Amino acid sequence: MKQEFILLLVVVFVWLALALVYAVVPGLNMPGYIRVWGIGAVVFLVLAVVLYRAARRQRKQT
Amino acid sequence: MSTTSMSTTSLHLPATAVDRFAAVPKPDRYLCGFLIGLSLLALALGIAYGVAMALARSGILAPGPDTGYRVLTLHGTTAFFYWLYTAQAATVLLLAAAERKGALVLRGLAWSGAIVIGAGFVLSELVAITGTPLLYDANPELGSEDPGTVAGMTGGYLLLAAGFAMIAVSSIATILATRRHADGGLSALGFGLLAWAGFLIVSAIAAVNAFLPGLLWGLGLGAFPHAATTDWHILFHNLHYLPLMATVLIWYALTQDLTGISPVTGPAFSKLVFASYLVFVPPTSLYHMFLEPTLPEAMRVAGSLLSLFVSVPTLIAFLIIVASLEAYARAGGKSGVLGRLRQLPWDNPAMANMGVAILTMLIGLVFAFVLIQEKLAALLSDTMFVPGYFHFFAVGTVTQTFIAMLTLAVPAISGRPLWRPRLLSVMPWVVLAGLLLFGAGGIGAGFLGVPRRIIDIGYDGAAPAVWRPFMAMVGAGGVLFASALAVSVFGVLRSLVPARRGRAAPREPRPRPAIRPDAPAAAWTGPVAVVLLVAAMYGATIGAFELMQSLPVTASGGGAH
Repeated sequence: MKQEFILLLVVVFVWLALALVYAVVPGLNMPGYIRVWGIGAVVFLVLAVVLYRAARRQRKQT
Repeated sequence: MSTTSMSTTSLHLPATAVDRFAAVPKPDRYLCGFLIGLSLLALALGIAYGVAMALARSGILAPGPDTGYRVLTLHGTTAFFYWLYTAQAATVLLLAAAERKGALVLRGLAWSGAIVIGAGFVLSELVAITGTPLLYDANPELGSEDPGTVAGMTGGYLLLAAGFAMIAVSSIATILATRRHADGGLSALGFGLLAWAGFLIVSAIAAVNAFLPGLLWGLGLGAFPHAATTDWHILFHNLHYLPLMATVLIWYALTQDLTGISPVTGPAFSKLVFASYLVFVPPTSLYHMFLEPTLPEAMRVAGSLLSLFVSVPTLIAFLIIVASLEAYARAGGKSGVLGRLRQLPWDNPAMANMGVAILTMLIGLVFAFVLIQEKLAALLSDTMFVPGYFHFFAVGTVTQTFIAMLTLAVPAISGRPLWRPRLLSVMPWVVLAGLLLFGAGGIGAGFLGVPRRIIDIGYDGAAPAVWRPFMAMVGAGGVLFASALAVSVFGVLRSLVPARRGRAAPREPRPRPAIRPDAPAAAWTGPVAVVLLVAAMYGATIGAFELMQSLPVTASGGGAH
């Protein structure tokens, strides 16, 4: 479970970093890229948290 | 890569394909059956439109300009969007339910998603048949005089996106409800499905980003979407990766079902590979923008460098699957490449579909690498080169993989044996023959500058005569692979209809050869294939540069590829 959580966090980091590059680098006028990769980072962050909580809940039950 | 040698201690005989899908409860079978039927209907229509297009491009049919572009729009919309994404929706649900070995969670949401996808399909088809042909990207600039059509096309795609997002949420909830390993972790396939479903949701967001402005403008509620081309590129990039990620996940599942062997690299490494798809997606997206004149030079250079990584996850997944198949074949005791190849269950249609999918992926990758070179993209992107290479992926790799899964899943769902399995196991090879002809014609025509978005390429007799034989190959190859694919579609659809007299036992794969669990196995085929592939990629790219410099080609790009 730990590996899965870390892998999803790596995905979140890469997507967020790309969204930030598009947001702050002058000349990169591509707001669509910021929106999609930024919201995508949030989606995978939510997935990571949900996965972590579901695994913890199941471990407590067993 | 650690796949070059391994012991076969990972060999075991787990549940078969029939066991995997037979555990899905009846209400979920109906839902998956509905989605599978819808996807196959879209594929059948897409094939029919594609045949018409191939005949028009080869000069056998001579449609008027409006009809030609309408058929092109219908082909792309139906085959690229509705076949590939409805099939993915069915697959992610089916594999999630099979992974849980129980009922789908949030089944109502999944049913709602399936109905919304169906509504989107009907809307898109009606608008593409009756409105201005906008091509499959629903380009608002082509519909600037017809906002109603722009609203209809974008609205249909937004319904599709909403539908597959709902199904992805149900799949995620189902996977999270599966029984975990002792450490609380998921199986490798479970984690891959979770990542894929998450990516489906992000792609639905990319679809909203691309199509919502067009819908609002079409309904008179917003400004004209001037950024539509850029926003389409982001979505298009995701739409490239999603079916490939689905493909490797299906290979992963079916390799176990067909051979009884677990992937040789173990679950931890497999999870790493599945996650790497998501890591490589955003950084490699820039090459779609190479044809945009406003893209800064620094970004072109960065895009060129990053594009080198585009196929890394697929190649690693390819290595795992091929090494696993080789380990299975070697454990059967045969020696020699041919002897080991014969060990694989080729009389099972799913194995034949998967074999053709793997071969066409290797061929497609060679030419995809040529196209994403910044200097060549401008010359080739608007030529027949693109459909020439792209169909190796769309028809060969992805469609053959989905058909492979359906030939195993559908009998388990319907309880009816697969229709004429011997015939269906031949069809993938006919598809391959057709694709080779189509691809050689299309790629050759592309190098000669034949445009891909012009239906009548005769130019009133002024077109070079050398174009004609290449386009004839495109027509003949297209009809050949479409005919074989149509037989496969019919076979799966026929098997989807439940048997009238109770449930018949679905056909099991043939008995597996005796496996010697203590036998060491060195699996070299995968690494050797990758070395050859990389050499072919560089060879083809160098050859393309040389060829383009020696030809008086003046083709130039003007839009997305």
